[in-house]
Amino acid sequence: MTTIPLFHVLVLSSLLFAIGFIGVVARKNTLFILMSLEVMLNAVGVAFIGAGSAWQQADGQVMFILILTLAAAEVAVGLALLIRMQKKYRSLDIDLLNEMRG
Amino acid sequence: MLTTAHSQASLNIEIISVILPQLIIAFGIALALLLVAWKRSQRTIALFTGAVMLIALVANVSLLTIQPTAVTQLLKVDSYSAFAFSLVLISALVSLHMSHQFLKAHIEVHDEYYLLLMLLVLGAGILVTSNHFASLFLGFELLSISLVGLVGYHRESNFSVESGFKYLILSATASSFMLLGIAFIYSVTGNMSFDANVPNEIYHQQDLRLFFEMGILLFISGIAFKLSIAPFHFWTPDVYQGAPTPVTLLMATISKVAMFVVLVKCVVAQNYLLYDNVQLLLMILAVASMLMGNILALKQQNLKRLIGYSSIAHMGYLLIVVIVLSGESLSFTWQSVLFYLSAYVVANLSIFMVMAAIQSQCSSKVGQLLQYKEELLLSDLRGLFWRIPSHALLVILAVLSLAGIPLTMGFIGKFYILSQATIAHAWWLIVTLVIGSGIGLAYYLPIIFTLFEKEDCTELQANKRPIIEHFLVYSFIIIGLLLGIFPDVVSQFIVSNPM
Repeated sequence: MTTIPLFHVLVLSSLLFAIGFIGVVARKNTLFILMSLEVMLNAVGVAFIGAGSAWQQADGQVMFILILTLAAAEVAVGLALLIRMQKKYRSLDIDLLNEMRG
Repeated sequence: MLTTAHSQASLNIEIISVILPQLIIAFGIALALLLVAWKRSQRTIALFTGAVMLIALVANVSLLTIQPTAVTQLLKVDSYSAFAFSLVLISALVSLHMSHQFLKAHIEVHDEYYLLLMLLVLGAGILVTSNHFASLFLGFELLSISLVGLVGYHRESNFSVESGFKYLILSATASSFMLLGIAFIYSVTGNMSFDANVPNEIYHQQDLRLFFEMGILLFISGIAFKLSIAPFHFWTPDVYQGAPTPVTLLMATISKVAMFVVLVKCVVAQNYLLYDNVQLLLMILAVASMLMGNILALKQQNLKRLIGYSSIAHMGYLLIVVIVLSGESLSFTWQSVLFYLSAYVVANLSIFMVMAAIQSQCSSKVGQLLQYKEELLLSDLRGLFWRIPSHALLVILAVLSLAGIPLTMGFIGKFYILSQATIAHAWWLIVTLVIGSGIGLAYYLPIIFTLFEKEDCTELQANKRPIIEHFLVYSFIIIGLLLGIFPDVVSQFIVSNPM
């Protein structure tokens, strides 16, 4: 079995990260924005696991577990806000959230 | 990486005493959860939170003169981190007092609010002591997620959903940028500790170097978001405006102090400034935020937005210290950073205290519920001097300190920065700092003028102000004056670490 070079793993995770970031920037539905945030975080997880296996250390996988925990906490807060937004505006369109003007 | 059997053996009394303040807060959180199960009362939990923080503050004072001590690989406590944590605890205590005033108006019992506040303080405590990217990440997230909860806390407020969502999405994006940066740095160096030496082969191998520098760039931009440094500052005014005033105070003080301290720690330990690109990047960030913050603040009528923009500018000034830092004068660098941060924190605490007082005065009773005034405009300060002179005096001191007028703490802080920049011959940064401060006067001074304007309407009286508020106001006036005239008092607390 040939090992995958670290460089390729990092490129893959950068691509995934970019896809997630484009999703956050371009999507209008807040639910999809939250999902794109998850994609970004998981892209980082790929990079950590790749780096951990390249260095033969457990650190990368430990970081991945921490990232999973973070993602869960973030989504919990995000969904709570999402429900409140749905109740208040009857819509999940992010463009509705522009009431503040300085 | 994390505690192994070997390092657990070394978790002795000495090490526990070093991280005692953080442990007290963590233990307090667990106890607060039990307290909620036992008795749900606003007063009890507020008092309990205050007591926990006070005990942590007392425990922290004894650490101010400590030698650098590593607590496992993850944390390292030194006198600088202890000083920064004291700043964090003091601002948390002030914010706790303000929050209690705010939350008293509601019939509901707000246990979660106090829990989130303590979690935020714990996150800041981990951040200022962290010596490893893993603990940095944990502290960062503990701080930002509880802050998101606090920002969107007031359900009845018009802006809570909007500012909560904006903060959540942007802070999550920023933390994933930071994490990707850490992942890149780790994949090149193979070590996540701040103390790790960066291997030399990076400089020779093209693709490794590319990823390493990209990693540093991503990492710094993640932190810069939290510090609201210029290209990453767009969230600041909106979230400042939408969040409840005590929470805005937390964002302006605790989160900035903790983030900046960890940034300096990381940059110093890892010697990022060896790379010209990093230095250039930091320089662009500093110049951009000094100019943007000050210029955008000019037209602001909303007081919170104005403070938000001024915080952008202040973080820009402070970034100069990081750019010009050199190995020889490390203790001087830390001294300037911590002094500037304390000046900034004291000024912000003072202004926010008065803002909260005005907000609670202007609240109107609708049935059982007190309706809080949400928007706080510059014109609300009009004639404050003739009604409540002590509060007005506090605002004047704080604003002068932010503007950097002599005989205030802010001036000494700016003096520290300027002298460092002069030693390093960073003339462009000095020019920008001077221009920025000049523009700054144009929006700081009108605040003072407004205080003295005559006002016919006398709806606000200086009646029945709680004693504790008077105490806080007067003590902050004294602190502001005293430390402006005798800055040595603070400098003595910032004991330099023998390296």
